[in-house]
Amino acid sequence: MKKIDYYLTIGWLYPDLMSTYGDRGNIIVLSKRCEELGIKADVKRIGLEQDKKEILESDILFMGGAQDKQQEIVNKDLLEKKGNNLKSAIENNVPGLFICGAYQFLGRYYKTADGMMIDGLSIFDLYTENPGIHNNRLIGDIIVRIDDLRFKINDLKKEGNIHKSNLINHKSLLVGFENHGGRTYLGKNIEPFAKVIHGYGNNGGDKTEGIFYKNAIGTYLHGPILPKNWELADFLIQKAIFTKYNRVVEIKDENHVLEDEAKQVIVRRYLS
Amino acid sequence: MKITNVAIIIACKIISKAITLFNIGSGSTWPGHIALALNKNFIKEQIENNKKLKVILIAGTNGKTTTAKLTQYLLEKNSIRVFQNEEGANLLNGITSTMIKYSNIFGQLTYETAIFEVDENSLPLILKEIKHPAAIVILNLFRDQLDRYGEVNTIALKWEQSLSDLDKNTFLFLNGDDPQVYYLSKNLKTKNFFFGIDKSFMKKKDIPHDVDSIYCPKCSSKLVYNAISYSHLGDYYCAKCGLKPDRISTFSDLKIKYPLFGKYNIYNINAAMLLVSTVFDIKFEKIEKYIEGFKPAFGRQEIVKFQGRNLIILLSKNPTGFNQSIEALSESSIKNKNALIVLNDRIPDGRDISWIWDVDFENIIEKVNKIYISGDRTFDLAIRFKYISGNLETRKINEDLYSLGSNIFVIPDLKNSVKIATDRAAENETLFILATYSGMLDIRKIVNGKKLI
Repeated sequence: MKKIDYYLTIGWLYPDLMSTYGDRGNIIVLSKRCEELGIKADVKRIGLEQDKKEILESDILFMGGAQDKQQEIVNKDLLEKKGNNLKSAIENNVPGLFICGAYQFLGRYYKTADGMMIDGLSIFDLYTENPGIHNNRLIGDIIVRIDDLRFKINDLKKEGNIHKSNLINHKSLLVGFENHGGRTYLGKNIEPFAKVIHGYGNNGGDKTEGIFYKNAIGTYLHGPILPKNWELADFLIQKAIFTKYNRVVEIKDENHVLEDEAKQVIVRRYLS
Repeated sequence: MKITNVAIIIACKIISKAITLFNIGSGSTWPGHIALALNKNFIKEQIENNKKLKVILIAGTNGKTTTAKLTQYLLEKNSIRVFQNEEGANLLNGITSTMIKYSNIFGQLTYETAIFEVDENSLPLILKEIKHPAAIVILNLFRDQLDRYGEVNTIALKWEQSLSDLDKNTFLFLNGDDPQVYYLSKNLKTKNFFFGIDKSFMKKKDIPHDVDSIYCPKCSSKLVYNAISYSHLGDYYCAKCGLKPDRISTFSDLKIKYPLFGKYNIYNINAAMLLVSTVFDIKFEKIEKYIEGFKPAFGRQEIVKFQGRNLIILLSKNPTGFNQSIEALSESSIKNKNALIVLNDRIPDGRDISWIWDVDFENIIEKVNKIYISGDRTFDLAIRFKYISGNLETRKINEDLYSLGSNIFVIPDLKNSVKIATDRAAENETLFILATYSGMLDIRKIVNGKKLI
């Protein structure tokens, strides 16, 4: 196969509003990882002032979590302006990572602590309810298993010739930190992103965490998620190249000693 | 009730002595815990029984300890008798303990003024007990330990509600350069004053990453900044609704010799100056001349000698605090700097360490010869550095030592990291230690213990 120059645009949605939990780290990792893989990558900041067409020009989408007031501003902009384009991008297999508040927006609705209903974009078949101020927020370290994601990469393997090191088999545990008042419930036949091993996940009850829809991932894991869980960054980049170029990008084996140790600190704390 | 409180005070003083004598814990919060269990109205009644005592409350995310200590220093220089709570004892328990410590056995507080630094969540609780404080200072409001304090808007809302109960006898000193803090004044009955810093100190034009309040607190439009001092503090206005702070005291016309580096300390010092001059009616010349001689608290730029090397410890507990510590390190005229950065995730630090990605660590790399990384979450911090310093090779040297390129060392064990960082330093090198709260306390133990391992 002829070698071609890959070029990816990383669309960062509402960077100065939805960026409360160190979410910039995810963008830093995606850009740096692209560079290491020889992929030219540009980060496009898509805020209130930018046109909604910039969403359609993005090859990977990212949106982080925020505080209530900022979320209100963003929710309005999404429902009135950018939501349709975000929906069509996700439906067209553009890979995306949506954390916490962003994840909740993409569902059908969010019921606030005082019972108000806020419409979501209904891209994901799920809803979120805050059970009220007398219930605790779900806060703490979280460890999840991602067997389902590995499955998805196996699908990719069938479609293209993928190097085996691309498979996520690194003990298949991801670690992060969660902090959310809302409890999320998935619709029928919806695939969760991961299974909770320690922590709360979607609702603290059914052991599901996040959602996996087309090539988009919604999750409560911040920390931020990508620096320690580098497999997921590679996965999003591969999916983006496959969607855009119908090619499979070679992933070189890298030295991940710091990432593995960082994960082990949390895994040992709760699982040993 | 009075007799009960006197009995409580005497009992708690004895308990406190015992705790110290047998070295079974910190005497700074337990007496208060016991006193409040015996009488939940203890603070309210003691304040009521000591009507002459002027209470000053100091709140805000960063700078409480320095501002409180400086205020006490300036008042004492002007012959005013003051007591204050110990650093960190800034919840109800700690404040109660402090009141017990300084009460005589008749339950009287024979001081003119009490200064209490107050934790963000505790300010509304304290104001339920102390309904007529002489003055309140609110230094700033940044995101800090979101897992413990919640979001900044939630805190601002709680503060606003509790401040609205105060009457016109309370002086309120607010940071006018912080939009959300400035706007707290909108519907209050208090006597409001604003402090800030001179525009010549505001060197940034672009809005940095570690901001929380760059949208108008009144109408939610994006604010326009003429200049920025740090984080979301600066010279701002709202183009839509016209919100613009005025009457901000910056003390630009005074020739103050600031004893501490960093812009954050100019805010702290200006806040203390405004308070002391306004509430106690002391002339500026009786304040200004003492400022240069102020000695900071531990972990706030105090220089410590350890094994023949100079250490400067900078408490750095949230993104804004860290960025300010890095700026202070960069601007300091000390030559041959090394840095030890300590990241813990215990309860006083906040369990969530995501915020390290909002810190601009790239600004430290060029300024120091060597960087050492340690703490409970060493490896998370090491990953942060891996992503800012180009394609550095990571090497595991042994179980307790990793290297990242040739100048960054990753040492999970804190004692070991202090040992290596001082052993390997040349005599003329200074080690700046940037640490989260529990990390700073551990460093204090290591340094005061003098001996390592």
